[in-house]
Amino acid sequence: MPSRNNLNRFLAFWRHFSGANAIHLALVIFGILLVWTLISHALENPDRYLPSPIAVALSSFDMVYEGLLPSYFGDTITRLIVGSIFGLALGIPFGLILGINRTIADMFYPMMNFFQSISGIAIFPIVVVWFGNSDKTIFIVILYTSFFPIAFTVLSGVREIPMKYIHAVRTLGGTRLQIIRDVLLPGSLPHIATGSRLSIGFAWRAVIAGEMLAGREGLGWMIFTAQDVDRTSEVILGMLLIGLSWIILDHYLLRPFESDTIERWGLVQR
Amino acid sequence: MSIANTLSVNIQKKIGRQRLRKFFLGSIPFLILITVWHLNEVFNWLAPVFIPKVSEVWEAFFILQEDCEGFSAAIVLDQSCMMSTHILSSVGRVLLASLIGLPAGIALGIFAGMSRPISKVLEPIGIFANSISGIAWIPLAIVWFGVGWMTTLFIMLNTIFWLMFFNAMLGVRSIAKVYEQSVLTMGGSRWDVITNVYLPGAMPSIISGMRMSMGFGWRALIAAEMIGGDSGLGFMIFSSASEFKIEEVFLGVIIISIIFLATDRYCLIPLEKWTIHRWGLVWKPH
Repeated sequence: MPSRNNLNRFLAFWRHFSGANAIHLALVIFGILLVWTLISHALENPDRYLPSPIAVALSSFDMVYEGLLPSYFGDTITRLIVGSIFGLALGIPFGLILGINRTIADMFYPMMNFFQSISGIAIFPIVVVWFGNSDKTIFIVILYTSFFPIAFTVLSGVREIPMKYIHAVRTLGGTRLQIIRDVLLPGSLPHIATGSRLSIGFAWRAVIAGEMLAGREGLGWMIFTAQDVDRTSEVILGMLLIGLSWIILDHYLLRPFESDTIERWGLVQR
Repeated sequence: MSIANTLSVNIQKKIGRQRLRKFFLGSIPFLILITVWHLNEVFNWLAPVFIPKVSEVWEAFFILQEDCEGFSAAIVLDQSCMMSTHILSSVGRVLLASLIGLPAGIALGIFAGMSRPISKVLEPIGIFANSISGIAWIPLAIVWFGVGWMTTLFIMLNTIFWLMFFNAMLGVRSIAKVYEQSVLTMGGSRWDVITNVYLPGAMPSIISGMRMSMGFGWRALIAAEMIGGDSGLGFMIFSSASEFKIEEVFLGVIIISIIFLATDRYCLIPLEKWTIHRWGLVWKPH
């Protein structure tokens, strides 16, 4: 029955998009575009301060034609994916370790708190001095920003697992490894999913800021240099792209993933 | 021996055993870090260009403040008092932006939460504005306002406002309709509903939104000061890094962290706890 299931899912998806909601959304977008156009026409120097939507669209055609936009976009997304994968791969085990052992958690918690409050962007100048304006710098900043949210959420996730499950496994003769594999990992999966979304959200901001500051090609770099040479239409185009790609990433990839995980694994009572 | 014993018992009683244990355990990694940092300058593992001396970082604070001509110069953000000017202008921006942004966001959020048609218009805008992270606005803000106070303030306001708006809206929506209807049935006006139902009911969500927006806003502010500012801690660390004065960068980063930690720990978390304790009664079954 999988094909039937897929069909149903597609129909639900379609219904979500068509109908009253979509018309409403289209109206809202149209209204915003209209207001935007009017404001831009009222301005004295629209090319500098607020180019009209048509100018922005034209500049996007230009950039796609030159092949710049796809390459910038690809660069940014690659950085985000690689950086946040490393951050998650380090943060999840670290959070688990802290969750398992109370002494270690008490030891490292204040330190983590301290480093978390130094935002990734703030350590950026230090990393630049260490590694120069390279891709390595951006990766380290992304790793740093995405590490702490996930570690904290995994830690609280492990803490919230009721002790009775651990006791049950132990009573049945389970080893420490089995407790981790069968209780702690599945029990904290919902938190891991939530934390990943949070981490990737922070990482996304860090990528944009990192590209601006380190001057590596990408969407952040694009809007920053376009501002330097007074091409405001490209700035706005970049901003729209940044917003749209985050909405798509968040609403159609991360949130369904999160809710599916919670639905499947969220059996542990809170 | 016995004196020491009674002293330690008294300290334990006064502060609490668990707290004391947490404090000492928590300080171990910091001590190790500082020791390693200090050993680095003794054994010269890494050049002082990359890692400054501990004492240099401490002295940088006073060197930056050296030319200051007393208290009044520090208050008016004189350029000669570098340290206090940077700290005060960052903190001032945070205060100013939250004074404007928080009430505006809460008001619009409650407004949007109250009526479906309005929220249908404002919600897509809010989602979009939240996903264009505050940082992406920096280039456009520089075009509009130039480099300086306005740009940084705008970025901070933008970040705070939309987060606050969203949280207040979700908070109002999560209130069960029964409360609103009961107030209306008893002859209350719309205003009564707002002050007696929406505001207290959405309070936990508003306060946690406040904490979140401070976190995001502070980060965005640092980035904004780096790129489009002419004062502030972010500007300080960025310009010091380009002059390879690494000790000033370290100092700035540590101050940033301490300010954020202090506001979070001593203002926002107690506020959040108190609010949830006091107002967190409205709940809705899922």
